[in-house]
Formats: sequence, C-alpha cells, structure tokens
Amino acid sequence: MTAYDVMPDIELYQPATVEDATELAARLKGSAWLLAGGQDTYGWLKDRAKTVEAMIDLKGIDALKGIRETPGGVEIGALTTLTEIVRHPLIGERYPLLREAAAVVASPQIRNMGTLGGNLCQDTRCWYYRRGLSCYRAGGNTCYADSPAGMNREHALFGASRCVAVSPSDTAIALSALEATMIATSRRGSREIPADDFFVGPDVDIVNMTALAADEVLASVRLPDRWANAEFHFEKVADRNVWDFALVSIAAALRMRDGHIENARFACGGVACVPYRLPAVERAVVGKPRSESTGEQAAHLASRGAKPLNHNQFKVPLMENLVRRALRG
Amino acid sequence: MEIVRYREDVWGREVLLGVSWDLLWLVIAATFIVIMVHAAIMLARKSGPRPSADGERLSRHAAQDRWFHWITAAAFFVLLATGVLPIVGVKFPWLTAHWVAGIVLTAAIVFHIVRSLFWKDLAAIWIKPSDLAELAGGAAAPLPGKYSLAQKGMHLAMAVLVLVAVGTGIAMLVQIDTPWWARSNFLSEAALGWMFLLHGLSTLALIGFAALHLYFTARPEKQFYLRAMVKGWVSRSELAAHHDPARWTPDAAASGDAAQASPGLGADAR
Ligand SMILES: Cc1cc2nc3c(=O)[nH]c(=O)nc-3n(C[C@H](O)[C@H](O)[C@H](O)COP(=O)(O)OP(=O)(O)OC[C@H]3O[C@@H](n4cnc5c(N)ncnc54)[C@H](O)[C@@H]3O)c2cc1C
Ligand code: HEM
Ligand code: SF4
Repeated sequence: MTAYDVMPDIELYQPATVEDATELAARLKGSAWLLAGGQDTYGWLKDRAKTVEAMIDLKGIDALKGIRETPGGVEIGALTTLTEIVRHPLIGERYPLLREAAAVVASPQIRNMGTLGGNLCQDTRCWYYRRGLSCYRAGGNTCYADSPAGMNREHALFGASRCVAVSPSDTAIALSALEATMIATSRRGSREIPADDFFVGPDVDIVNMTALAADEVLASVRLPDRWANAEFHFEKVADRNVWDFALVSIAAALRMRDGHIENARFACGGVACVPYRLPAVERAVVGKPRSESTGEQAAHLASRGAKPLNHNQFKVPLMENLVRRALRG
Repeated sequence: MEIVRYREDVWGREVLLGVSWDLLWLVIAATFIVIMVHAAIMLARKSGPRPSADGERLSRHAAQDRWFHWITAAAFFVLLATGVLPIVGVKFPWLTAHWVAGIVLTAAIVFHIVRSLFWKDLAAIWIKPSDLAELAGGAAAPLPGKYSLAQKGMHLAMAVLVLVAVGTGIAMLVQIDTPWWARSNFLSEAALGWMFLLHGLSTLALIGFAALHLYFTARPEKQFYLRAMVKGWVSRSELAAHHDPARWTPDAAASGDAAQASPGLGADAR
C-alpha cells in the first residue's frame, strides 16, 4: 500500500520558454506531467491515485499567459488564470459567455490558481477512477460506474463507449459554443484543433480526454470574431451553487437578425465525455424568434438519443429545461 | 520487457490487465527475421522449372470453402486493424467495427466447423505421424496428400489461435453494450484480465502466423495455391509436382471450360 505520509519523489522541471517546455515534453514523453495551476493535478497526487516521475511546470512561461486581440478575434494564452479571464474587459465585452463560464468554476481560490489550459485538459471526476480503481480509463478492463450497483448519478447520457464519465470543464462548453480553436504546440510544430475535435470521447480514446499528443502543450485558445457580441446564455445546474461541478450545464451562442435567430450553437456539459453539441436544436431554431414557444418546440430535440443509466434519468428533463431557458431570452 | 501488464490498485492489489503490447514489436521483428532468413535460403537454392498451369484442371477448393476463406480473411484483417491500430496510436472509433467483424468471423468459423465435420474429409487436414516423414526434406521426403505438413501445421496453429481469440472475444463482447444487450458484469476483474491476456496473446501470435501465411502465399513457387483459393483449381502438372496423386485424387474441376470462362469465386469446383 502506498505511504501517505511523505510526498513521492518527483523530478521538477521549470522551463521559461515554450521551446524548452516542448523539448522537455518530447524527451520525457509518457513519464512527465504538465503542470499549470495544479488544481486538478494535486488532487491526483495527494490521493496517490496517480503518480508521476517528472513534472514540467509551465507557470514560468510568460509567452503562454495573457489575453490579446488578433486580426481574427481574441487569443487567450493557455496559462491565463480563470480569474484573469473573468476580469478582462475584452472577454466581458465580446465574449461574456466565456466570462460567465469561467466565473462559475469551483471557488475564487481555485480560479485564482487554475488556468484555462488546465481547466480544458482536466480529467474526469468519476469517483471510481479518482479513487484509484483500475477501470477502463485507468487502463483496466471494466467500468465500475456503469454496473448494476454503480453510482452513476453524475455520469453520461450520450456518447458512452464502455466508459460513461463526463467532461467536468465549465469553460469547455463555452468554447465549443464560441467555435474556438485550440493551438497545440510541440517540437514538431503547431497545429490548430477546432474545439469540437479537441475533446475526445471514449470511443476514440478511453484514457485521454483531449486530442493532445503526449509531447504536445496547449499554447492558446483562439476565439473567432464570428461570435463576438452575439446573444449568449450560460447556465450551470449543480448540487451547490459554488465549489461544485455541473450536473448539467448549457452554453448557447445566438446570432440574431431582425429579431430572428440567424445562426446558433449550443453545447451542454455534464452529459457526455465531451462538450455535447445540439445540432438538431441548432437547425430547428434558425429563422425563429428567441421566445418561449421556440424553446418549447426545440427542447425535446436536445435529449434525443439519450441513454440514461440507473441513476441519471433526471438529466433528461434538466437538459431540456436548460434549452427552453436558453431560448426564451 | 514485460509479458503481462499489471496495475496496483488503490488497495495495493495487483490487477491483471492483459498482455504487454511491447511484445508487438518483438513479434514483428521476429517474424521479419524468419521471413528474411527463409527468403535468403530459397534464393541460394536453385529452383527447378515450375509446373505448367495449362492442361487438365483439378478441383482443390469448393466455392463454399473459398468464400469461407476470403470472408474469414477479410474479417480477420478488419479485426486486426481495428484491434491493434488504436494500441499503436492511430485513434478512431474502433470498437463497433471490431465486434461486428468478430461476429462475422465467429459465424464463418461455425459454418466451417459444421461443414468440415459433416461434409468434408476432416482427415485431409489432420496431422498424422506418417506426415512427419516430410520433415526429411529434399528427394527423400514423400510428397504430401492434399495438404503438406507445413500447411497442416499452419492450419492447426491458426485454428487454435483464432478459437482462443473468438472465445475470449465473445466473453469480452458480453461485457460491453450492444444493440441487443446491456453490458453484463458476469466476469470478475481477475477473470476479465485473463480474457484480455489470452485475447492479446492470440492476437500477437496471429500477427506472426498471418504474416508467414501471406509470405508463403506470395512466394513464386506457391502462388498456384493462391490461384487455387481464388479460382478453385490446380493443374495436373502442379498436382504431380507438389502432391502425391496416390494420397490425393481430386476430381476434375467442374467444367474446366466454365472455370476458364468465369474464373471468379462463383466457379464451382467440388
Ligand atoms: C474542489 C474543486 C472544485 C472544482 N470545481 C470545478 C468546477 O465547478 N468547474 C470546472 O470547470 N472545474 C472545476 N474544478 C477543476 C478546476 O477548475 C480545474 O482543475 C482547474 O481549472 C485546472 O486548472 P489548473 O491550471 O489548476 O490545472 P492543472 O491541475 O495544472 O492541470 C490539469 C490537467 O491539465 C493538463 N494541462 C494543464 N495545462 C496544460 C497545457 N497548457 N497543455 C497541456 N496540458 C495541460 C495537466 O497536465 C493536467 O493533466 C474544481 C477543482 C476542485 C479541486
Ligand atoms: C482473430 C482476430 C481478433 C483479433 C486480432 C483481435 C484483436 C483485439 C485487440 C488487439 C483488442 C484490444 C485488446 C486490449 O486493449 O488489450 C481487442 C479487443 C476486443 N475484441 Fe478482439 N480480436 C479478434 C477477435 C475478436 C472476436 C471474434 C470478438 C467478438 C466476437 C472480439 C471482441 C473484442 C471486444 C469486445 C474487445 C474490446 C473489449 C473491451 O475493451 O472491453 N475480438 N481485440
Ligand atoms: S465511468 Fe469511466 S472513469 Fe468512471 S469507472 Fe467507468 S470507466 Fe472508469
């Protein structure tokens, strides 16, 4: 049994440039853990549910921090803290959807330390996995949550493939609705990954929640002009109003013209391993006003194809109600 | 290099997870070396004139058996690709294609077993002590019947390995959701570990044997066996050169003209 009284030995690297960080990530591939604000990381280490040989601390890399305007929109460095995002005027003016999402993450202390990159790359909160059981996501051959006695109230309605865990990130659904692009960098170069491809479900990769390769660092997130100053709705339902993960959440971006919805993007949290887009709802609301009756018409489309587990049927009406509320304006 | 993957769980118990996939590279390297050594030996050896494919055509594989072979081969390669590519880092939604191909393979094998038990000459593929004389090699070795000792050995190895993969695959399939059932929990974590280990070990061995099978099929002196598996027939000269007509007396290919006119899998050869 692992000892809890002393911290295991961890080799700590503190690069000051992106080049050094990617060089280290390539060299230590597999044995190193990228560290940002540590708010997800330290939980794993304290519980001894995961151990690491080496850590690459990204906090000293200034190039990965800050929010700047670009010709196509706004770019946010992956090491920018959630508090900075909440307070930044550009985000507040153009993308209040992201501000609202970042503002409801955990608690003020965690938002002060936690970064956007860490929030997007954090691991699922399924407690069987967090407790260190050897389930699929931990490299094993079974799922404890999706079993007759499994406690799966917080788990997925959609896209489960053996693992039924959900994405815990509040900012992920906002970025999916805003059609953001993630910039991944490694020694091999940089690549742009659309938000919808950045998050991966268990059908594709049962042990990783993002498309990042082992030697890649998330450098920044780009928000396109396309959705700047659109109409937005963000809502998160959790057991507690603060310091708690979403049971179900919704992020909606609606581009209006002459009182009618011209274009819309909806993403739900807490219902799948990835931000769960609602394409049927998006199609159905085009050309309609933002109203109670549009919400009524579209709500049932949201939960089509849901496969509830033993204890999470309540998420179906909850999700539909969040769509109604997003559309009534 | 480890053979088996274990994980220490939160209670300090060692949980068996499956085979160590590092072995994949070992299997690939070992198979490559075997093939290269064999190819070099064959290159050094003088090869005699190849028997003619012209003349009388004799039936080697019935249409049903050729269909079985190619369906099995297609299902096998789908299973191999969908099973192994994600392990070596090619990420895609693999599981549904995998178990669907698994069901196709299982059905094909059930068909083959039933047909072999009741309609075919099972003894033709079975290894008998007398076959061991073929090991002598050269002129001293007797010519085989329908199947050489090497072919019988390959069939036996493939049959055992595929049956292990199918048996463990079915046990694993019961543990996941399909359109017909929700996942069952009938296997303990330890038993599941054994299923994954055997499934993985059979996969590794099958990679080696399948590569050898493909290599031998591609060898110039054996290519007529590939044609026989596509079109159904061998020529009288091929039979005389590679088989003992006293131990294997095939019928004439049903209507040699028909076989020539429509050489596809449908051409009947009993
Ligand atoms: C009590 C508690 C409550 C919480 N409640 C919520 C909540 O309500 N909503 C919510 O969204 N989150 C919540 N969280 C999660 C928390 O917000 C996130 O864990 C935090 O934002 C992570 O950011 P970090 O910088 O601290 O990440 P870290 O812990 O440093 O990193 C998290 C993961 O991301 C990887 N990573 C970090 N940065 C990068 C990068 N640049 N490139 C590649 N990989 C990277 C790390 O390797 C690690 O695997 C909660 C956490 C706790 C402890
Ligand atoms: C003979 C060819 C086969 C090969 C080469 C093969 C290969 C593989 C491989 C490499 C894996 C991944 C194992 C791991 O991650 O450790 C796998 C998993 C699996 N195989 Fe196969 N397999 C074969 C046949 C079958 C058959 C016949 C079935 C079903 C009828 C099947 C069902 C499954 C299932 C359900 C899994 C996933 C189990 C899980 O993740 O829970 N396989 N296979
Ligand atoms: S839901 Fe996923 S993370 Fe949770 S026990 Fe099942 S396999 Fe593990």
